[in-house]
Amino acid sequence: MARAPARPASLSPPQAQSQSASLWTHAWRRLRRNKLAVAGGIAIILLALLAIGADVIAPYHYTTPNFGRNFEFPNREFLLGTDHLGRDVLSRIIYGARVSMTVGVVAECIVLAIGVPLGALAGYYGGRLDMILMRFVDVMYAFPRLLFVIMIMSMLGRGLLNIFIAIGLTGWVRVARLTRAQMLSLKEREFCEAARAAGAGNLAIIVRHLLPNALTPIIISLTFGIPEAIFTEAALSFIGVGISPPTPSWGQMVGENQQFIRSYWYLCVFPATGIASIMLAFTFLGDGLRDALDPKLNE
Amino acid sequence: MVPYMIRRLLWMVPTLLAMALITFTIMHLTPGSPLDPVADNANPLSPEAQRNMAKQYGLDKPVWQQFVIFLAKAVRGDFGSSYVYKNRAVHEIIRQAFPVSLHLGGMALAVALVGGLTLGISAAVYQNRPVDYLCSLTAMLAVALPNFVVAVFFILFFSLMLQLVPTGGWDAPSHWLLPTLTLALGPMAIIARFTRSTMIDVIRADFVRTARAKGLHECRVILVHVVKNAMIPVLTIVGPLFAGIGTGSFFVETIFRVPGLGRFFVESMTGRDYPMIMAVVLLYGVFLALMNLLVDLLYGVLDPRIRYA
Amino acid sequence: MQIDHAQVALLAERLHALGVGRREFLKVVGALTGAVAVGSTLGWDTSAQAQRSVPAGTKLAKEQVFRYAIPNEPSSMDVNRYLYGGSDALIFAWLMKFDPNYKAIPWLAERYEANPVGDVYTFYLRQGLKWSNGDPVTAHDFVWSYQRKLDPAVAADYVGFFYDLKNAEKINKGEIKDLAQLGVKAQDDLTLEFTLEGPRGYFPVLMAYAATAPAHRASVEKHGDKWTEPENIVCNGIFTLESWDHNKQFTLKKNPTYFEKDKITLDKVVRPIIARQAVLLAYENNEIDFVEVPSSDLKRIQNDPKLSNELTLYDAPITWYLTPQVTHPPFDDLRVRRAVSHAIDRRTIAEKVIQGQGIPAYAYIPPGLPGYIDAAKHPKFVEMQKFDPKRAMESLKGSKYEGGKNWPKITLTMREEGPNPKAMAEAIQAMLAQHLHMNAELEILEQRVFRERLWKLDLQFIFIRWFADYPDPHNEYYDTLYSKLAGGRRQAWSNAQFDTLLEQGRAELDGDKRLEIYRQAEEVLQQDVGYVPVVWGVFFGMFKPWMQGVPRNNQEKVMVDGNIYRWAREHMYIVEHA
Repeated sequence: MARAPARPASLSPPQAQSQSASLWTHAWRRLRRNKLAVAGGIAIILLALLAIGADVIAPYHYTTPNFGRNFEFPNREFLLGTDHLGRDVLSRIIYGARVSMTVGVVAECIVLAIGVPLGALAGYYGGRLDMILMRFVDVMYAFPRLLFVIMIMSMLGRGLLNIFIAIGLTGWVRVARLTRAQMLSLKEREFCEAARAAGAGNLAIIVRHLLPNALTPIIISLTFGIPEAIFTEAALSFIGVGISPPTPSWGQMVGENQQFIRSYWYLCVFPATGIASIMLAFTFLGDGLRDALDPKLNE
Repeated sequence: MVPYMIRRLLWMVPTLLAMALITFTIMHLTPGSPLDPVADNANPLSPEAQRNMAKQYGLDKPVWQQFVIFLAKAVRGDFGSSYVYKNRAVHEIIRQAFPVSLHLGGMALAVALVGGLTLGISAAVYQNRPVDYLCSLTAMLAVALPNFVVAVFFILFFSLMLQLVPTGGWDAPSHWLLPTLTLALGPMAIIARFTRSTMIDVIRADFVRTARAKGLHECRVILVHVVKNAMIPVLTIVGPLFAGIGTGSFFVETIFRVPGLGRFFVESMTGRDYPMIMAVVLLYGVFLALMNLLVDLLYGVLDPRIRYA
Repeated sequence: MQIDHAQVALLAERLHALGVGRREFLKVVGALTGAVAVGSTLGWDTSAQAQRSVPAGTKLAKEQVFRYAIPNEPSSMDVNRYLYGGSDALIFAWLMKFDPNYKAIPWLAERYEANPVGDVYTFYLRQGLKWSNGDPVTAHDFVWSYQRKLDPAVAADYVGFFYDLKNAEKINKGEIKDLAQLGVKAQDDLTLEFTLEGPRGYFPVLMAYAATAPAHRASVEKHGDKWTEPENIVCNGIFTLESWDHNKQFTLKKNPTYFEKDKITLDKVVRPIIARQAVLLAYENNEIDFVEVPSSDLKRIQNDPKLSNELTLYDAPITWYLTPQVTHPPFDDLRVRRAVSHAIDRRTIAEKVIQGQGIPAYAYIPPGLPGYIDAAKHPKFVEMQKFDPKRAMESLKGSKYEGGKNWPKITLTMREEGPNPKAMAEAIQAMLAQHLHMNAELEILEQRVFRERLWKLDLQFIFIRWFADYPDPHNEYYDTLYSKLAGGRRQAWSNAQFDTLLEQGRAELDGDKRLEIYRQAEEVLQQDVGYVPVVWGVFFGMFKPWMQGVPRNNQEKVMVDGNIYRWAREHMYIVEHA
């Protein structure tokens, strides 16, 4: 049975080191056994490859118009049909994968970048900092997320960067809460005290010891956050405050082609299938990860 | 319990204040002024007319003063007149539209609960068997499809093809079917998945093994012991879920012509209807806070292990 | 010999002012043109109009209720104050109206006269007109209503076109505080006298525009902002507001005090509020009786055996055009603007991209409106900006962008609109890239944001439309392109010769001469490429087969209620159906 590579030597006490090594190994093994999760993971990797290699894979550029050939149903030349400007739907979907994946990943990265440090600091130091942060989190939670995103998009205007900011600014609370909860439960454990006794500074403790163990729920949250970000972008585009043309994103394609659902169903159905697939893939993977990493399921 | 409730209610005040401040700031930072005309061909109002309009709306004062005035009036329940709907006060509009959203949300939640619980329990009880896969897959699909796509498909199928229900409106019960179904799909999936996982947790627990060992009938074990205990965590998500759907889904309300609050919010944003935006946001905040409080209290009642100091 | 209808109308006014009777005039004109049915173009009421438009023997449905959807909840029913409140203007009536051929004909006024200079117009109201509560409709109502409209404290939303009235602009800008200084006076209860800033040949046309609707003074003073609620409202129009279920629908019923109520067959108009995405579904489910067909479903409907019979084409006087801003490079160079005008394939856009919901445009004024330049008679206009990729690239010779190189960042900006305009903008984007190697970014702005930047002349390259307010070239040219506009100037382009021509056209009273002046103006406009025309709008709608009586114009096109023509429901009726 393949073993996970040994972790590099560090200042962490041997107990924690082997504990984390075995945790990951067990998790990986369990994950591999979950067929759905594996399928999801493969799908995501394929989509990522599609997104990266769009320039090479797509048969046409996503802006190439063919005015005489618009609204064609799927045929040999245009495998998924053409849109109102005669642009190849398949190519636009392939390029759209790029935008959708970027939105999902970058927005979630912003969420992590804000949420994890804030949550960790609040959870570890506690006291005043914790109280202030939790009040702030409560306020943010009080806003319905989609409406808050719409408000921010109205303020910033359309565009990809603004979508990242809007989704990031509204999503970090979830991760902050999670991280804080993990911090709270972990900081009383023995290995933490041991590290403190060994003279490690607070920051080092947080980064080297606590966070790696807190990763589990954060990772799971990430795999559910990415499809949610993609979904939010789709909703924004539907309302009309999303990405500007001619850049394709799956959400935008669904939104702008929803009017054609009865005449040219393929324009809306294919990107909708794309969104559904990516969400399913991430959901399967997320479920699998949760099952794999959850110590309660230790048999 | 009571001091806990009071403390929570008191905490709502600074939370709402902060919400109001954030919303107010974002609104005033958003380009485009409510003084600009909406109409397509309209020319801008004369500067004199704009000055008058600004005075009427109270927009001629410095921003911080506007905020203070707003707070002072809001506390008394006066949110002013809508900028877009010229002769209607904000509270009038809300009083008409909010109950509709609540109604729709309530029905959707009921459907989501019934459907979600059924799916989740079935999946958990027959774990890793075909029933489980079927239920889980249904739940996942329900979550993955955007509800504005589902809405149109529903209309095509139920209204136009089967001629069962009208395409929209909100008068008769036949109007309620499609929007409720569409709105319930997402929450139903969430409830189903969550129920399944908590049920699985509980089924493995010691006291269940004890009950089985005691020779109790499997049905009784499941229904009485497992479900009752699994419900507690599920409750924690029902509160916020209801708040989410009760505050109106814009898409569902627009496509099915439901005269609810969700539609108003987005229209208020485009129309820069400041009084309306502030009122709706604060309303949502209060509603969500109350729902959370209710859930926490129920939690305390149902789970004897929890004590509120 | 062909005589233009507008010309005949103007001639009739002049002769009437001189005391020539209708009978004699008809004899004269009939002899000149051989045309018999001239009566409808004259400034007098004809008995034909007073008859019901229902042909004999028609079986009418028992319930004459027209279900007519509206896309948004009206923000106000006070048409006098908020023309664009999204309401239904027919609950009020004003001095003149339009016939299906866009001719201004008398309505509440039974006739009017102009002084020889053309700067004083007198309108004579009919006897016996009443508001829905029994109050008589008098000239004083109109005087008060127009003073109210121009009062800056009221901040009515569309008053710019009223600036032709003496002192109107000064009052609206707060320079004159006394509203009574406005150039409109009631000589007596039935006589209304307008004093203008100068001779204005098109003034009667303005009086047919819905913006001249009055308000009921007593109700406004008693109920304030709430005077248009159904329990308070007092109307003088064809319909009154019977009920208003906010955000769901409102219902109009025939006004029992309307002076021509016997002419109207419809009893009620029910207006449910249905968003554009959902309205076609509602029509197909028989919940409403008329729908404007979105381009997305046009082909399907044309191929459907049942629905294609209900399909009808109607004009909407709308022009889509590009504005290359002369103050922003590269469009400060005339050669670049010329290149752009030759790079746009209008026929493809109209026929392929928006599937026939447009006509390639070569001038500003769309067909059907006075001032439209007939390509057959004036072929040079079609040549001036026609699609020619080679000519497009050649135009760049000698400029620093020769060969389509060195383009700076170019942003094509448009307002948030429906799907058709967006598709057109994307097509334009593609064509510019293809023929001029110009890669423009498309920026779609929210309404308010767009307009703010538009009026600041902040935008570099704009795709925009003009929806005519009233059928006169003055509206098309002056209100959009005149460089010395009071407010709301849409572009930085200006040309002294063009401005002078517009001022001449405004004051000219002779119909033919006016048209010639405006044609010259169009030529100057196009030589200097102040704009690039793209398409004129064409709309498709569907009426349920039992809806009859929808008026048609001389080109046999159906006239549906729109910005200018609003009187379709006067003539409509419902036949018996299952």
